[in-house]
Amino acid sequence: MFSDLILRNSKRSRKENGLFFSSLVISIVAFYLVLSLSKQDVMIFLQKMESDAVNKLLLLVPVFYVLTLGILFGMIYFACKYQLQRRRHEFGVYLMMGMEKTKLFSMLLIEDMMSSFLALLIGLPVAVLLSELISLVTAKAVGMGIIGHRFSLSGSALAFTIVGFLAIKLAAFSILSSKICTQEIGSLLGDEPEVTKKQRPKYVYILSLFIGLALLTAAYTMAIGGTAWQIPGMMFVTELCGFFGTLLLFYGMRILIRIFAKMGTGRLRVFNFRQLEENVIHQSTTMAISSLLILAALCCFGSGLGIVGTNAQSEDHVLDYTFDSYNDIPSEEMLPTVQAILEEQNLTEQFSALLPMRIGHIRTTDAYEGVFQMDSVMDAIAALPKSYAQDILLNNLSYTDKPYIIMQSDYNNLLELAGKPTLDLARNEACVYISADFTNQERTEILNHIFSSHPEAQLDGAQIFLTGNLQTTNLVTDRSITLSFALILPDEQFRYYTQGQYNVYINGVLNHHTVNEIGLMNAISQVNQRLDEANLDDSGISYESYLQNMGRSLFYMVAASYITIYLAIIFLVVANTILGVQFLMSQRKTGRRYQTLVHLGADYPTVRKSGRKQVQWFMGLPIAVAALSSLLGVKAIVGGALAGRVGGSQNAIMLVSAAMILLLLVV
Amino acid sequence: MEPILNIENLTKVYGNTQSQTKALNGITFQVMPGEFLGIMGSSGSGKSTLLNCIATVIQPTGGSISILGKNLAKLGGKELAAYRGKTVGYLFQNFELLDNLTARENILLPTTLHGTAEKESRQRLKQLADYLEITDVLDKFPTQMSGGERQRVATARALILHPQLILADEPTGALDSRNAKNLMEKLSGLNQEEHATILMVTHDSNAASFCKRILFIQDGVIFHELRRGEESQQEFYQRILLVMAQLGGGSSNVL
Repeated sequence: MFSDLILRNSKRSRKENGLFFSSLVISIVAFYLVLSLSKQDVMIFLQKMESDAVNKLLLLVPVFYVLTLGILFGMIYFACKYQLQRRRHEFGVYLMMGMEKTKLFSMLLIEDMMSSFLALLIGLPVAVLLSELISLVTAKAVGMGIIGHRFSLSGSALAFTIVGFLAIKLAAFSILSSKICTQEIGSLLGDEPEVTKKQRPKYVYILSLFIGLALLTAAYTMAIGGTAWQIPGMMFVTELCGFFGTLLLFYGMRILIRIFAKMGTGRLRVFNFRQLEENVIHQSTTMAISSLLILAALCCFGSGLGIVGTNAQSEDHVLDYTFDSYNDIPSEEMLPTVQAILEEQNLTEQFSALLPMRIGHIRTTDAYEGVFQMDSVMDAIAALPKSYAQDILLNNLSYTDKPYIIMQSDYNNLLELAGKPTLDLARNEACVYISADFTNQERTEILNHIFSSHPEAQLDGAQIFLTGNLQTTNLVTDRSITLSFALILPDEQFRYYTQGQYNVYINGVLNHHTVNEIGLMNAISQVNQRLDEANLDDSGISYESYLQNMGRSLFYMVAASYITIYLAIIFLVVANTILGVQFLMSQRKTGRRYQTLVHLGADYPTVRKSGRKQVQWFMGLPIAVAALSSLLGVKAIVGGALAGRVGGSQNAIMLVSAAMILLLLVV
Repeated sequence: MEPILNIENLTKVYGNTQSQTKALNGITFQVMPGEFLGIMGSSGSGKSTLLNCIATVIQPTGGSISILGKNLAKLGGKELAAYRGKTVGYLFQNFELLDNLTARENILLPTTLHGTAEKESRQRLKQLADYLEITDVLDKFPTQMSGGERQRVATARALILHPQLILADEPTGALDSRNAKNLMEKLSGLNQEEHATILMVTHDSNAASFCKRILFIQDGVIFHELRRGEESQQEFYQRILLVMAQLGGGSSNVL
């Protein structure tokens, strides 16, 4: 009978608080997802290549776990508090019938534990399935194929999910129910005393509204302008401004609502806005915090998806392999040596092309300074209106005294492979090469504009003209060389200036047939395996493959997007739960008013419409504030924190983010 | 004969030091076994506060309450729980049935809380259900019952453990006159047949006319007492109305 009562109460709580229960399930899923990160296919794969970075990321997992624990504890405490408060009267009746306080406490605890276990029962399988799905989709997306997938159930992740979830649930519940149990029965049975909030003079609210707006404006000016990112303490100041700005904004918002209430003449307009005003008055702080959480979620979503979108398309992939020598193999011997090795390993057929890339120094002079001068270019840049890009260019290009030089025919081969137009240089012409890592869209445009006027330059005393567009196509597959400034010279000039002393890198392209058949990643893995068997050390040849490059960008993509999206979901769930629970509670408290409305002659459609309107406004206010801020917020994050890395693709990220935020809002 | 309930100089003060309200201002009376005592007064007179103090729902500020010679202030948590469940049975104005339990489950809830033998509980349930005419609704949920049925189910729940004292807080407050009369007849019957001791707070003169003795409270003190002698219920009712009229008309022409 007693256990029956517990069963029913627990069931009723779940029914009445479906929203909260589903939040619990989602939080379980979230726990498992972050904890099982190390078991994701992509992570297992990356651990082989980028083990340092992956390990660093995995070291962060406990931090995220604890962070999530903290945030969800707050949510559960808040939601449970309302849930128990609603049942105060019932508890009073139990105690009146002679239930002991310890028994009441244990009854509440068991009730709660039953809900928790059910949440685990639903949440864990969903979490495991979802993490498998994510694992499969990412694996498929990066070309690992399904063959590489293994079903992975992370025992430790499961254990920590269960322990963590039960621990915060138990902690929150114990604190709350012990509070209930120590109250006098009379106060439990009686209606809760109405707490009337002190009304302050009107100007206080108007003032707080304006100060709030001013603080927010200040925060975003600092964040977007870059002040916040450059001076260490400023970030904190910016965040404080934003936080208190939002609090004050919501505190003063009642003035706006009062004005809204007086405008227009809907049937229940005044009633609706008075209800809304009451909510805002009683809960302005929670609304502000929910709004901040939604803002955080939108920013995370926006930038996370933006990073995925742009990283995936940022670098064009042309080459699969680059062979290099670390012994002094004569330049002309490089290609035959590599070919011999490939033949020996039966790998010749795997490659559709082997292309040399010759790069050298200027050897016609012993001088180190002033070998190359392009004053006209520098003057043209200096004459431009002041900007960040101009500043960087002036700085970077001042170290171009003795540039590397690249052979035109080799580079043209590369361009052909990449499907780009080839270069056609006259004897006294050169084209400027800057590795993609060292430039961005804005800077490239500036330089292209200058080069279009064929500026004059001096190369070891001889006059040459810079022509064509700035070249940025990667010379090798990964990172064995990245050039901050180089000149592409016609073959004859190249040979003259290098005096026949140059380095040769042999670039390889895999057979498209094989790649299409088994996926790029598998193809490269197979070739790597064979090459590793060939004892390359003896011949003094080393190689690097696109896999490293891919691994690196994949890692940034997976790490950045996984974590931002994960946090976004947590923030969103918490904000949604807090707002939802709060709204339901206030509606329950004021339920009688609807009866009065009906007595006064309001028909049911009108009352329903009034309810809908209130939901829209109550949820809409914090979301609208968050959405407005998030557009600026994503811009600040992208412009500040990620400026160096994503460079020119800022606009693309902003576009993707804006679209994402819009989509989320509509949903 | 020992009194069941002995209240001495009971006081209860609400509020903080700045705005104090004396709900009870020194109340002394006794309740003997088998009595049917009514407590009347206008709203705000302190009658519900008095009942709540006896039910240990709130703590009095001063004075003492003894039940069967035991001072309530000296009871610990476990003893208090047993006191609430077994020594007294409480009837609420708005029934306070748990709406997710059927009538039967509601009535048996105290027995499971206090571990009474199942067979005994069933017998008692049958007896009470027959007497209170609720056998037909035992498997219904509170929302499926009428107000009168709900209050009779609540009465059965208050009586299931043979309490020595039944405390009733405006039990007819939420009932229509027919159901109110029915309930009062049942309570009066329990008082006469089972010698149940009942302490009832009410401002319904009709309900009060079923009592054997009535205390009138005003401004936290006992201001008048009526005893029903050999007179008929109707005559007693007239006398109650008279006192109530004087209560309403101020204290200048008190008897």
